[in-house]
Amino acid sequence: MSEAGVNGTEHVELRRVTKRYGPVTVISDLSLTVNKGSFTALLGPSGCGKSTLLRMIAGLEPITAGRCVIGGTDVTDTPPAQRRIAMVFQSYALYPHMSVRDNIAFSLSIAGVSRKAQRERALEVARILQLEPYLDRRPAELSGGQRQRVAIGRALVRKPEVFLFDEPLSNLDAKLRVQMRYELAKLHADLRTTMIYVTHDQIEAMTLADQIVVLDKGTISQVGSPLDLYNHPANKFVAAFIGSPGMNFFAVDIASAQAGAATVVLPGGRSVRARVRGAAAPQAPVELGVRPEHVALVAPDDPAAAFAGAVVIVERLGNATILYVDTPAGQLVVQGEGNLSASPGERVGLALDQAHIHLFGVAGDAV
Amino acid sequence: MTAATDLDADHAAPALSSRARLRRLDLAGLAITLVTLASAVLFAFPLYWGLITTFKPENEIVRAGVWLWPEHFTLENYLHVLFQTKIGLWYVNSLITSAAVTIIVIIMAAGAGYALSQLSFPGRRIFWWMILASFMVPIPALIVTHFVVLSQLGLINTLAGVVGPQLIAPVTVIIYKQFFDSVPKDFREAAVMDGASEFQLLFRIYLPMNWGVTTALAIITFIGAWNLFLWPFLAINSEDKMNITVGITQVHDNFGVSYGRDLAVAMLAALPVALVYLAFQRRVTQAIMLTAGIKG
Repeated sequence: MSEAGVNGTEHVELRRVTKRYGPVTVISDLSLTVNKGSFTALLGPSGCGKSTLLRMIAGLEPITAGRCVIGGTDVTDTPPAQRRIAMVFQSYALYPHMSVRDNIAFSLSIAGVSRKAQRERALEVARILQLEPYLDRRPAELSGGQRQRVAIGRALVRKPEVFLFDEPLSNLDAKLRVQMRYELAKLHADLRTTMIYVTHDQIEAMTLADQIVVLDKGTISQVGSPLDLYNHPANKFVAAFIGSPGMNFFAVDIASAQAGAATVVLPGGRSVRARVRGAAAPQAPVELGVRPEHVALVAPDDPAAAFAGAVVIVERLGNATILYVDTPAGQLVVQGEGNLSASPGERVGLALDQAHIHLFGVAGDAV
Repeated sequence: MTAATDLDADHAAPALSSRARLRRLDLAGLAITLVTLASAVLFAFPLYWGLITTFKPENEIVRAGVWLWPEHFTLENYLHVLFQTKIGLWYVNSLITSAAVTIIVIIMAAGAGYALSQLSFPGRRIFWWMILASFMVPIPALIVTHFVVLSQLGLINTLAGVVGPQLIAPVTVIIYKQFFDSVPKDFREAAVMDGASEFQLLFRIYLPMNWGVTTALAIITFIGAWNLFLWPFLAINSEDKMNITVGITQVHDNFGVSYGRDLAVAMLAALPVALVYLAFQRRVTQAIMLTAGIKG
């Protein structure tokens, strides 16, 4: 059973939820708690079940087994419109034949709200989202960012208890995505409404969410705050998924181990000390993981160097430099300062920051 | 100097393009154009002949020889048809039956297409196959059955009886289903989350999103219903309830058929359809392409 949650007032709860399509199990016995007012990101690779999970919360996908509770009410069998939630779709799903005003007010018109009230509410939402000048335009006459804002406006107008976002920024270009990320974060800060956000982009999840749920093959790999996931990944999957460039992994031998610490022998023969999470000493074989920014460039013959190797590629990003270095442990990625001095073919030494070394057991769990 | 060169270049570009256009007008193209033109004349000639005949006196019409222009131009045929027959009533009957057929067919076909495309209910697949199978049966093959059924219902010689059998429009259902199938699922789900019922989904999302195809289908259904002859001819025996196409058969005098008057009614009958076609040419073509695509 996959179970997760953090302390606080529960708002959305999934209790032992399973989703099957015929013989295929997409979500398996999953439990999750989302706190009131939190911004929770469901993060994972394509096919991990994150969108299915969101659609089950929305009521667009029937739950095969388990319960969905929103605001203390079991809504497992409640139609989507009665769950007091709103959803922003990846495609925005703006009705092309309606103006921005009519798109925003659509749910109100369905609910039988008077035309005057519809117009007032649409205007109010348009003001919040700076859409006033575009109220009479059709979606085809808007830019990607404006369409995105209309989609949010359509959700906002319903004054929902929970906002659901299904990869809402994936159709935008990189610059607009950053801007919309800021606007979403600001919206959440202003409204303090519970938001659940599906994404495969770990940067979006890290920057927006105060709780990230990492999903892998229909189960929860880890739940935690962005920094918690970054600094203390529960397993190799989370360690590899969070962070860019990704964590370096290589097999190591355990020289000596006790509860709390271990000495591991690196490929090439040198040893380093690493923290051990569990009370029990880890059993071989283990894999060592270290993030590129926790590998420092030193002289090849420096006593602190864990490896010596040759630089293969240098990527200059301005604020950082990424090096690809061939070592006895395989190719390692190193992230240094923007003005780091290194060139392809150069021999360098690599020192590992022992405080940030992670060890993973044979099953992939952090040890 | 530079400016002059630029100007020359500006003039040279259109000159080059017109030369290029001339080069494209090759012999094969010329031959095809001539053949197309000849075909157009061939197809247009009966229409011209019919039109010109309506402006000829009867003795000139039956005179031997081919006369491409009336020797004595007359409006007598039109005046007779307009003032001595019930053409006004036939127009109204045609308008009522065609409009009724169009409105009912569009609503029923859109509803059926939506149900088959978007809803899940027992027997959906069987319904779909039945609709597919039904348009393989030609309507004239069912005409006796229609007559018997409508006769038993007491609808023969009524406008409702004219409308009834024309409501069988499987092709329209199939076209709607295909168009509704292609509407992205997100639109439906967004509306469902907003609390829309199935009727609201159909009438506020699916139909307006496919307004183009609805217009095209409505026009072609209207034209089809207006032009229909066989069934209204069988179903109606009272002159007051005839539509315009059947009314043509009533324009005769004591001396038998009057070609000028018959053709004048035919021209007047075709006039609204021709106007509709001219006004909505693009939509009609689109509808013909749609139905042709379905019928293979």
